[in-house]
Amino acid sequence: MPSENVVETDVLIVGGGIAGCFAAIKAREHGLAVTIADKTSAGNSGGTLVAGYGYVVFNPEWGHNLDDCMNAINTKGEYINNREWTEIVLKDSWATYEALESWGTEFVEGEDGTKSVKAYPPFGVVRMGLTRAGPPSRKQAVKSGVEIMDGITVVELLKQDGRVVGAIGFAPTTGDLYVFKAKATVISSGVNTFRSLGNISNLTGDGEAMAYRAGAEITSKEFPDTNALPVDPSGSLFGEAFPLWRYHTDAEGNRLDLSDEYELALTQEFAVHAGRGPIIWDLDTATSEDIEKMRQRQEHSVPPKSKWAAFDPGKRGKFRIAGGAWVGMQNSQTGGIWPINTKCATTLPGLYAAGECCGTRYLGAYHPAPGFGLLGSAVTGTRAGIGAAEYALQVEKPVIDGEELARAKRILYAPVERNSGFSPRWVTQILHNTVVPYFIIYIKHEERLKAALTIVRFLNDHLVPKLTAKDSHELRLAHDTKNMVLHAEMILRCSLFRTESRGVHYREDYPRRDDPAWLAWVKLREENGEMKLWKEPVPKEWWPDLSKPYEEIYPRRLLGE
Amino acid sequence: MAIERINPDLCNGCRLCINSCPMDVIRLDEESNKAVCKYPEDCMCCYICELECPEDAIYVSPVRHVPLLVSW
Repeated sequence: MPSENVVETDVLIVGGGIAGCFAAIKAREHGLAVTIADKTSAGNSGGTLVAGYGYVVFNPEWGHNLDDCMNAINTKGEYINNREWTEIVLKDSWATYEALESWGTEFVEGEDGTKSVKAYPPFGVVRMGLTRAGPPSRKQAVKSGVEIMDGITVVELLKQDGRVVGAIGFAPTTGDLYVFKAKATVISSGVNTFRSLGNISNLTGDGEAMAYRAGAEITSKEFPDTNALPVDPSGSLFGEAFPLWRYHTDAEGNRLDLSDEYELALTQEFAVHAGRGPIIWDLDTATSEDIEKMRQRQEHSVPPKSKWAAFDPGKRGKFRIAGGAWVGMQNSQTGGIWPINTKCATTLPGLYAAGECCGTRYLGAYHPAPGFGLLGSAVTGTRAGIGAAEYALQVEKPVIDGEELARAKRILYAPVERNSGFSPRWVTQILHNTVVPYFIIYIKHEERLKAALTIVRFLNDHLVPKLTAKDSHELRLAHDTKNMVLHAEMILRCSLFRTESRGVHYREDYPRRDDPAWLAWVKLREENGEMKLWKEPVPKEWWPDLSKPYEEIYPRRLLGE
Repeated sequence: MAIERINPDLCNGCRLCINSCPMDVIRLDEESNKAVCKYPEDCMCCYICELECPEDAIYVSPVRHVPLLVSW
């Protein structure tokens, strides 16, 4: 028989990646009881596990200039980055880097003896070694006295008198129920990836979905992550060689101009849309010096026993690249729960957001260099941990009434109590087929977005309320599916709402940026069971100089402009 | 395909693979006290179990059970 457990804590943290670990450690510094609940294993879970290339630091002693960094992010982010947050993250970067290093994260030196990668001026990107950031952060959290509960899928936030007072979840391995009663709750459960190609399919945007259902405001779901990955039918894994060798061609062998593009913008999608696909990663063009660099990087960052280490770039070859590695994810640090202050409070009292599901928008409409995601997550984690702790110190221990608990339990168990309906695996497949194609999620058009939205609305209204689960493993799948369908609706609605193109949001029917009308962010929340969207203008003092020619303000040309 | 084999002769029942699997696909067979891949259709081929296993008892092949639709 599954057991029912009540966990009382001061600060509950949902998701133990780098953001959750930073939040937990900071909240513990206030002498509070802190609990992390993680869907898999804190420190080894989610995006932090795969974020291994580097960490951005801003350090004037290394020759970095604040104005240069701010301007680069403004231009790349196409002027809808939240400048207040951009400055905070840059200025907090050195302290978080030092914290990570002191907890045991390895940072390796390049051949020139410096830790900073030179390929991404004006930013300082420090290379991470084998330890990456997650496991040492977990160790530090444990050392600080944080209670870690692994293997728990949190399903729904608990609310009492308008305040978030914890959450309810279960352990898929045992079916055991967990009721978390907390004075403050931090959501740091990462992104949604629609169970796509890249290996973070466990991330189904649960935190953002829970926050939305509880009434929080969400922002900027229209900017897709544009990472693509090479695939090979023989099953080769490309380790760290792929990000180092950026020679991509169309099917005819013409090299794609990826200069100055970290996430490849939409260059590949534009080529595919013109019928010039498939896109090829051409390792045959690398010199022996290039191959040596890839080998060195592999040695420093890939566990020797792993299959990634077995890939020898020296064998060369041409490999097909597949689009949508983490399709469903938003441009790093952009989409997510709307923070109302610089301590990551949300519109719901008692709820804080950190990491990739906190919509700081500090990078705006484009992700300019590796390591910014991890950095933003560490900074919002730190601030959410402090914000949540300060709030918890001011409020009484929550009392949760029977009605609220019964509501949450009904939602949690509904799929296993249903004898008939729809399998979550099948609904996920329909969802995948509806939203993943490039002409829906990358190259957008009103007609196609509306068509996809019709299907997604039907999934949401008709299939999701009838999802079934025959055991506690499938119960997790059912909740994952429900959250992914909700994310799809957010993405499609935000994409329809922004009637222009900007950064990685591209509308074939509106191929230009529209200033000043769209120097704005899209926000949404639930109102009477419907998703309501509206526009939040970017403060005028952050606008570009609109008297300059368009081509000068926006150096990047889009298809059809 | 996915987790193709968990060798029962090598598995020591330590549960490391179960606890580290992001997709919740491995269970401990109570009778034999050995890990088994119970939900292979949900394996995302991340190789974490293979890497974590102290006895090298697990082999994961890089092909998922349900072929994934890619964006292009």
